[in-house]
Amino acid sequence: MTKLQAKNIVKHFDHNGNSVLALDGITLDVQEGDFVCIVGPSGCGKSTFLNIVAGLEKPDSGDVLLNGNSISTPGPDRTMVFQEGALFPWLKVIDNVEFGLKMAGIPKDERRQISQRYLDMMQLTKFADSYTYQLSTGMKQRVAIARALAMDPEILLMDEPFAALDSQTRDLLLVELQLIWERTKKTIIFVTHNISESVILGNRVVVFKNRPSKIKKEIVIDYRRPRLMEDENLQKYYHQIVEELKSEVIAQIKDENQ
Amino acid sequence: MNEKVISEKNSQGLHDAANAALLLAIFVGVWQVVFMLGIWPQISLPSPVMVAESFVKIISNFSLPEGIGITLGRLVSAFAISIVLGTLIGLAMIRFRGFGKTLNSFSAGLLSFPSIAWVPFSILLIGFNEFGILFVVIMSSIFSVMISTYSSIRNIPPIYLDAAKNMGAKGFALFRYVTLPAATPSLIIGLRQGWSFAWHAIIGAEILMSIVGLGHILSVGREFLDMGEVIASMITIFAIGLIVDRFLLNKIEEKIRRKWGLDHHR
Repeated sequence: MTKLQAKNIVKHFDHNGNSVLALDGITLDVQEGDFVCIVGPSGCGKSTFLNIVAGLEKPDSGDVLLNGNSISTPGPDRTMVFQEGALFPWLKVIDNVEFGLKMAGIPKDERRQISQRYLDMMQLTKFADSYTYQLSTGMKQRVAIARALAMDPEILLMDEPFAALDSQTRDLLLVELQLIWERTKKTIIFVTHNISESVILGNRVVVFKNRPSKIKKEIVIDYRRPRLMEDENLQKYYHQIVEELKSEVIAQIKDENQ
Repeated sequence: MNEKVISEKNSQGLHDAANAALLLAIFVGVWQVVFMLGIWPQISLPSPVMVAESFVKIISNFSLPEGIGITLGRLVSAFAISIVLGTLIGLAMIRFRGFGKTLNSFSAGLLSFPSIAWVPFSILLIGFNEFGILFVVIMSSIFSVMISTYSSIRNIPPIYLDAAKNMGAKGFALFRYVTLPAATPSLIIGLRQGWSFAWHAIIGAEILMSIVGLGHILSVGREFLDMGEVIASMITIFAIGLIVDRFLLNKIEEKIRRKWGLDHHR
């Protein structure tokens, strides 16, 4: 069943007074339970695309359908894990995880139950009453994932959530995220500029072209899980994507030098 | 926080208090020496003991406690009005962007406008009365509340608002649970500044407008050539400013900063 459909999304943005075409007709179908990674050169508009799916930005034209219904505003059915975590520093960890549930008007006892479950899942039980500044970057991202999952969204959107992590923490979370995906059967769209990440996580890797962005290539990765960073069988997918991206990065550098 | 940290903190506090007491003792000592040198007549510069006697006098005839009570009462009510109106205008500036931007472009002039300069205007507009003073205090503090409300909310990292909207927060809940707490550390700084402006304004206005209060004791002292009374009132004004800031405003700010972890990496 198709969970999410993006139909011919076009988006311009303003750059020093000039209108720049960022997304030039992105069309993407995501099946229920799929794990889709989007890779592309930095600044290619992949985060913009994710923001449009989240409803945080509006496309100039095109349509996003969730379960066949058009969406235009942000909503808890599409929760996002941001690059910087975007946790609220004035709330304890557990209250951060409960925030969306509170907004949904779920009673306190039930909120506690749900948030405890996801804190357990992310191995954060001990830190429920900590404030976010007391956590490491990796723990913060765990909280952000728990917070997004607690809403039981239709689709989970992840915008380079591991970009700021050290490599050991990231490798650990890459495995954890696969386990969580298998356990929760969530539909996930994961945006990254890190090719290895996309190969480890994605059932499908969608490669974005340099600005104006289009989908250049889609690579299906049908390989057992949990996949590990050091697995050599993943190399061929990695190189395939590198090849696709190489010309894009060169194009981008040319762009910037003009 | 473990016990060691607490005890270190306490001994640091004791240390600071001892230093403060030492500084005061030196100040009083120098004052006494200058007094004994007899450069100024006693009527212009009384000794510390004479000022202490003036203190006893204005406390026992109740003029000081009464003055403190009236001035602080006035200050609190005027500042409360400033907070309410200043916040509302600040929110309107957020809501109506063009209005906010325009008004904000005057902020430097509004914030640096000397509070005393409102006094003649207030006397002519309202008169030598309670409302005249309240007006001066409100006008002196409302702009810092207004501008800080505006800039605190404008400077909230957009990612907090995006994250909140993404989790279904909107309307008043978004304001109550995200905008307000996210703006709080910066709002507190604005309130502190507003309080300090209000404090300047009220003493000035009471001196100039000769209306009962702490400032008025100062001007009565001047009229009766009673320097002891003048200095005793000045010390009182200093002490109140210090106590309110250190034990109230600063404590609130520290508590918020600690909770947010803003002092964590120092």
